[in-house]
Amino acid sequence: MGEVVKKKKNIRRYLIILLIIVITFVYMVPLLYVITTSFKSWSDVQKVPPTFAFKPSIAAYIRIFTSRVVYSEGNQPTEEDIENMKWYERIVYEETGERIVRIGDLPRRYLNSTIIAVASTILTIILGTIAAYGFSRFKIRGKDDLLFFILSTRMLPPVVVIIPVFLMFRFFNMTDSHLTLILLYTAFNVSFAVWVLKGFIDEIPIEYEEAAMVDGYTRFQAFRKIVLPQATTGIAATAVFVFIFAWNEYAFALVLSRRVSQTVPAWLPYQMGVLGYDWAAAAAGTLLFLIPAMIFTVLLRNHLVRGITFGAIRK
Amino acid sequence: MKKKSGSRKTVNMAYRSMKDTTLLRIFVLPVIILLIIMNVFPLFWSLVLSFSDYSAKRATEWGENPEMIGAVNYSEMLRDPKMWNRFITTAKFVLLSVGLQMILGFGMALLLHQVKFFGKGFLTTLLILPMTMSPVIVGIMWKLFYNANYGMFNMLLGLGKIDWTTDPTFNLYGVVIADVWMWTPFVMLLSIAGLSAVPRYLYEAAEIDRASWWYKFTRITMPMVYPLLLVALIFRTMEAFKIFDIAMGITGRGTTAPQLLSMYLYNVGFVTWKTSYGSALGYIMLIMIIAITSIFIKYLNRARQ
Amino acid sequence: MRKALIWLLAAMLMVSLTIYGAGCKAEEAAEEEIAEEEMEEEAEEEEAAEEEAEEMAMADSITIHWAQWAPADNLEALSAGFTAETGIEVIVEQTPWETFVQKYNVEMIAGSDAWDIIVADSQDVGNMAINGHFVELTDFVQEKGILDSFLPSAMYYYSEYPKGYERYWGVPVEGDALGWAYRMDLFQDPDNMAAFEAEYGYALGVPESWDMLKDIAEFFHDPDNEFYGVAVYGDNGYDSLAMIAEQTIRVYGGDLGNFETFEVDGYLNSEGAVAGIEYYRELYRFVPPGFGDAFYVATNDAFISGIVPMSTNFFAFLPALANPETNPFAGDTGYFTCPPQEGVDGVVRQSAALGGQAGSVVSYISEEKKNAAFAWLEWFAREETQAEWAQLPGSFTCHEAVLNSDEFLNAAPYNPNMKESFELFQDWWAVPQYDEMLRTFSEVVGAYVISGTGTAEDALQEVTDIWTEIFEEDGYYDPDFDPNDF
Repeated sequence: MGEVVKKKKNIRRYLIILLIIVITFVYMVPLLYVITTSFKSWSDVQKVPPTFAFKPSIAAYIRIFTSRVVYSEGNQPTEEDIENMKWYERIVYEETGERIVRIGDLPRRYLNSTIIAVASTILTIILGTIAAYGFSRFKIRGKDDLLFFILSTRMLPPVVVIIPVFLMFRFFNMTDSHLTLILLYTAFNVSFAVWVLKGFIDEIPIEYEEAAMVDGYTRFQAFRKIVLPQATTGIAATAVFVFIFAWNEYAFALVLSRRVSQTVPAWLPYQMGVLGYDWAAAAAGTLLFLIPAMIFTVLLRNHLVRGITFGAIRK
Repeated sequence: MKKKSGSRKTVNMAYRSMKDTTLLRIFVLPVIILLIIMNVFPLFWSLVLSFSDYSAKRATEWGENPEMIGAVNYSEMLRDPKMWNRFITTAKFVLLSVGLQMILGFGMALLLHQVKFFGKGFLTTLLILPMTMSPVIVGIMWKLFYNANYGMFNMLLGLGKIDWTTDPTFNLYGVVIADVWMWTPFVMLLSIAGLSAVPRYLYEAAEIDRASWWYKFTRITMPMVYPLLLVALIFRTMEAFKIFDIAMGITGRGTTAPQLLSMYLYNVGFVTWKTSYGSALGYIMLIMIIAITSIFIKYLNRARQ
Repeated sequence: MRKALIWLLAAMLMVSLTIYGAGCKAEEAAEEEIAEEEMEEEAEEEEAAEEEAEEMAMADSITIHWAQWAPADNLEALSAGFTAETGIEVIVEQTPWETFVQKYNVEMIAGSDAWDIIVADSQDVGNMAINGHFVELTDFVQEKGILDSFLPSAMYYYSEYPKGYERYWGVPVEGDALGWAYRMDLFQDPDNMAAFEAEYGYALGVPESWDMLKDIAEFFHDPDNEFYGVAVYGDNGYDSLAMIAEQTIRVYGGDLGNFETFEVDGYLNSEGAVAGIEYYRELYRFVPPGFGDAFYVATNDAFISGIVPMSTNFFAFLPALANPETNPFAGDTGYFTCPPQEGVDGVVRQSAALGGQAGSVVSYISEEKKNAAFAWLEWFAREETQAEWAQLPGSFTCHEAVLNSDEFLNAAPYNPNMKESFELFQDWWAVPQYDEMLRTFSEVVGAYVISGTGTAEDALQEVTDIWTEIFEEDGYYDPDFDPNDF
């Protein structure tokens, strides 16, 4: 009897696992499409009708890193020139007949994205944690209203706020600096951070701090030594979401950054060369840009799951 | 001895409460100040603008131009016959997209929760990936994917030549599909968290009582996961109303594109530069979103008790 | 855990910094190479320019803002010559087309001095001039002979505002117009030619009129075999649809209005205009699926995928079709100019939609920057520079002598058509309200052309009414209105 039940349970288990694998695979198809597109040659991308087989080429990756011009009719390279080309120059030449002029804009943008995302995440976490602690432990008049106000800052479509915000930063001559976007993203994210972290900190029994303070700790020391360590899971979870938002943000980056501080999302979708829209390079850039966000998420995945639990369920 | 500790406690508490208010300010004020500068000020400015006829393109000489014209922008907007269609389309989008996300996300979480196996972590990570991509890039990629001539979407599903990007009968659903693809992981993540939090012993106790699957689900699982689902619902609804990047990537912003409010807002504000009109529209959207989310939040607060 | 995170962040930063550093070094090396090459070529001019440069104080670098496309890359490469001559560094900042117009408008509103020269869309001339964002260049273009050496039509459309008042605001940088590419192999295939002649009664060939173009599209349209008649723009998010529409409106006898009296009634709602829009609707039936937001990318892609026999595009985007690496049919690709057409009144007209941009000087920059910008414009307008400019694929000159030179005409297969188009191109409105007018037109006419709602007559009448209202509200019809008053 027990054997049969066990077998049934096993079959059920394997079926579910199979289902999960199939669903995951189907879910990943668009992403697989992006990956394969990034390795396609120029004409393969637009083949009608589309096929599964194609000849792989890494020209797209070289293109996303470089800025090129096409060899004009009267200016074609000679045999000797072709001999002397470096390997990446040759790949680009063979694929699209272009000459590499210089390293393109991607590395700089990548660096900017990194700086801005990391800085704003750190700032958000710091501000958010202490504010959440304040809301959690202290009696504040109109606490609920204040909390709602904080949440409501996230409800306005960015398009409405962009012009006043732009004019504001223009006044301080900050329309192309990293600090602008860092401040903006922090302001945008801090609402989410406060909400989630408050849920966490509510979690942590207040008795520990009170006992500590009886023993002579100041409020701040209690915060640092008791609350913080217990809230790390929540902080990790919040950090992931905050980072992802700042890493991927587009609307504000488009208007408030130009050459010096532009981030990758504001630049990547528009890979217009003389030869048309460079889908393969855009796909290549997408993948490269995805990697840090993915790694970040993986590292904190366990914290994510455990963390959010406590954050919102208990009061 | 007692007296001593008692007085020390009192002294400490008095010392603490004095410091507390300063500390309170230090803790909470920075956030409030930052939000006021970055959010309230532009909000207020937009509000003032919405009652004027300001167009960001015209020369700004205050007093002459812009003029304050009262609530003309608002009344004009509400009288626009196409406005109603836009509201409906946006509402349709929100309902479809958020609804599907919740169902699929929760469903996936339930599935994943049933089993533990080697590689489960890896698969879960894969499933989370779409959420970590930039919306505008997701839009562009889906645009290529949907392309009626050389994209693979139609081919893989054997659908012939349906145009998901510019055919008005289909493109709203095109955006819905891409949006659901991108954000279901978010709901899934929150649901997994909720499901993991349900203590095992509750299930075991129910098993002993030979409770049915349905009973376990409705009496144990749902009440504990419900608040988290509400959080997911609140955030997703807020974002769905404001959807812009993904939709623009897939359908562009011409007349064949689905008439979503933020696309219209972008056209008004940045293509025809009727800034004040755009501010008015933004405020109407804000009020709508606030209204709907407050209802959800009321439920959330009740659920937390 | 925490350690892993810190390591990850550190690694990310290190990698980014390394790539960036490598990029900077490579950039410097490349720049040095280019500068050296140019210096060897232009040793003589250097001496002459040095004398001039000593007279005016000039900044040591200027920034030019343009859209993100190949001509901007070309401009950057070309400007190395200017740097070699004067030592003034030229930075070309590129913003993608989709957001280019919004970007520079936002910056100009804020009175920004981020860029010294903006190569702005021709329609924005009025807006920029009236609001004082651009420096008036009337004296400059006259003194430096630019007015004489550049095509009059180019100066009229790219640089003059108000039209007809001889005030100039920019130097045409990129000339452009709508042109056509076609598959010579399909047109010359004997079976096709026989079948076409049998069906239509005349020989298949390069379209000699818009009506013929439509017949050809109809002939080739074969959706069951995944082949479609023609690739034309359909996107009405910005001006793509309007560009095609203005061509058909004009060749059939209508017009967008009178640019000098601002009258719209009688032009936009005339019989010719209605016929033109009806034509566009009929032609649109033959486009491939998914063309509701088709702009320059889609028409090229359709041609390259081999699903259309003809496609339209701005000449600046045609190098993609001439390049055998990107267009498998490049060897069989021919080009033609927008054909003439007999209008409803029996008059034969020919018109092409104007594209292209002119470089203007921002008025919010310092004197030194202005001087440097003027120097660059002057250098750019020289015949030698223009000749070199025209050689780069995708960039087109408006310098008359260069346009007529053999080097230019032989440089690319579509260049002769380009020259022809320059002589007959016409533009959209350049008044400050052009964006609102464009939006209205695109929406209303787009609804008819793409979705078939209503009739052409009603659509055009609606647009005429709205435009007339706009002009009236802004006082353009007042008896004492002087468009030159600013």
